[in-house]
Amino acid sequence: MKKAKSIITGITVLAVSLISMIPFWLMFSMSTYQSEMIFQNNPLIPSNYFMENVKTIFSSNFSRAYLNSFIISISAMLFSTLICAMVGYAMNVYHFKAKRIFYTLIMMTMMVPTQIGIIGYMIEMRNVHLNNTLLPLIFVWLASGLGAYWMISFVQSSLPLELVESARIDGATEFRIFFRIAMPCIIPGLLTLCLLQFLWSWNSYMYPLVFVNKKENYTIPIFVKSLASAFRTDYGAQLCGLTLSTIPILILFSIGSKNFIKGLTAGAVKG
Amino acid sequence: MMIKKARNRDYISPLIFMAPFFICFFLFNLFPILYSFYMSTLNWAGYNQKVFVGLKNYIDIFTKDKIFWKSVLNTLRIGLVGFPVAMVLGLAFAALLFNLKKFKSFFQTLNFLPYITTPVAIGMIFTFIFEQHIGILNRLIAGLGGQTINFIGTAQWAPLIISIMIIWRNTGYFMTMYLAGMTAIPDELYEAAKIDGASSTQCFFKITLPNLKSVTTFLVITSTIYMFQMFDEANLLFTNQSSSTVGGPQQSCLTIVWNFYNQAFGSNPRMGYASAMACVLFGIIAVVSVIGLRLMNGKEEA
Repeated sequence: MKKAKSIITGITVLAVSLISMIPFWLMFSMSTYQSEMIFQNNPLIPSNYFMENVKTIFSSNFSRAYLNSFIISISAMLFSTLICAMVGYAMNVYHFKAKRIFYTLIMMTMMVPTQIGIIGYMIEMRNVHLNNTLLPLIFVWLASGLGAYWMISFVQSSLPLELVESARIDGATEFRIFFRIAMPCIIPGLLTLCLLQFLWSWNSYMYPLVFVNKKENYTIPIFVKSLASAFRTDYGAQLCGLTLSTIPILILFSIGSKNFIKGLTAGAVKG
Repeated sequence: MMIKKARNRDYISPLIFMAPFFICFFLFNLFPILYSFYMSTLNWAGYNQKVFVGLKNYIDIFTKDKIFWKSVLNTLRIGLVGFPVAMVLGLAFAALLFNLKKFKSFFQTLNFLPYITTPVAIGMIFTFIFEQHIGILNRLIAGLGGQTINFIGTAQWAPLIISIMIIWRNTGYFMTMYLAGMTAIPDELYEAAKIDGASSTQCFFKITLPNLKSVTTFLVITSTIYMFQMFDEANLLFTNQSSSTVGGPQQSCLTIVWNFYNQAFGSNPRMGYASAMACVLFGIIAVVSVIGLRLMNGKEEA
């Protein structure tokens, strides 16, 4: 009886996993087809046109779009993680009167939907003549409320304050303490936040849609959209580009899936 | 002298460490929103002369603009079908996985993949599945001798397809959240219940579910905020369509954000009016957030 139950559970789990994998598999499988052939065959079975599609997209400057996406995501990831780590450090190591106010402010920044300010942001960036650069796509990720909140709780749980105290007695400067002592203690937390920030900026669609208006600044989503034209939409090539764009996420996720899930669930489970 | 120096340092250092965050937040997140508030009082296309019109944009939204309210209803319709289903499914699969002894983290990772997939890819793939003539599902229906259905081109089906996208994308995420919540429930509770002779169904409803309340609250709040900002899913389902329809068939998939995006950056830009829409949306989300924070904090005190 018990065995039968666990077999049924196993089968259900397997079936559900298959369903949630199908669109993912379709993306990969369809990217191995020539566009005209996709809809004449069973697209669940891969074909042999993948390298041709790769050639097609790289001949229309896919590498530039890929590089742009990387520049944006890596910068957003590094700087926002550093900025949030600094907040986490300050909120735990120092005692100051306005601490509660700052904490409330950070909680509020978590709730502010930044997309809503996109029109104002566009005009602001246009007025400082940055709207034709990649910078607006990076800037918008820098102050992450969720990231700051996550770093505050992570520093609290993994940085022993005695270490900071003894370093101070030894005469180390505050920045030295932060980089040499605090940072190594909170590496797992930093990695989690890096993964999240990379994912968010890499998959971002609306900001590039508003800010990218010339070919040199294409990010992957905009590049893929540009493959659709009035004459012919090269579906095979589009899906090939998307498959290739998923690879960095998959690599990062398979390396750090535990950290990643821990970071995502931190806010909810503590709640 | 020494004491004074130490005090000075304690006063200034935290400010230096906090400054980058708050400066960036002000420059790139808060100021744009404040500027949008200012713009919402203008009649302005973004390039011509600004004309101050006071609250006229807001009055128009609340009294004349049927499309805005249609977009609110669309958003609610898509979201209120999608998210609750994803949440119940996520909870159910979490309960299933939780009792699984082997391969737990393998299946968890597998089901989490949709959440990290680029939305652009999701939009395209869903077009390929549900398209009327070449879509996989319709070819299957036709192959079985049935009548093909125009899922994406008709107003009664298209919003449902977006709901399905939401379900597909978020079920694994909700499942992961619930799994983490279940792991945090102490084993003693279950052991005590077993000694008292409780069935596993009773355990689920009397122990598991009440202990997941904080996770559920968190998910409901974040999903609601996310729902009101929905844009990618709806917009991407129609990007590859030859006719560049805004909002899908009969604008049934025009979400609030898509509507204001189109007003601001479309062929006939009305930056001021679109900003007013954004501000109304901001108000809606603020109310939801405040209620949500109350609920979450209330839980903490109890």
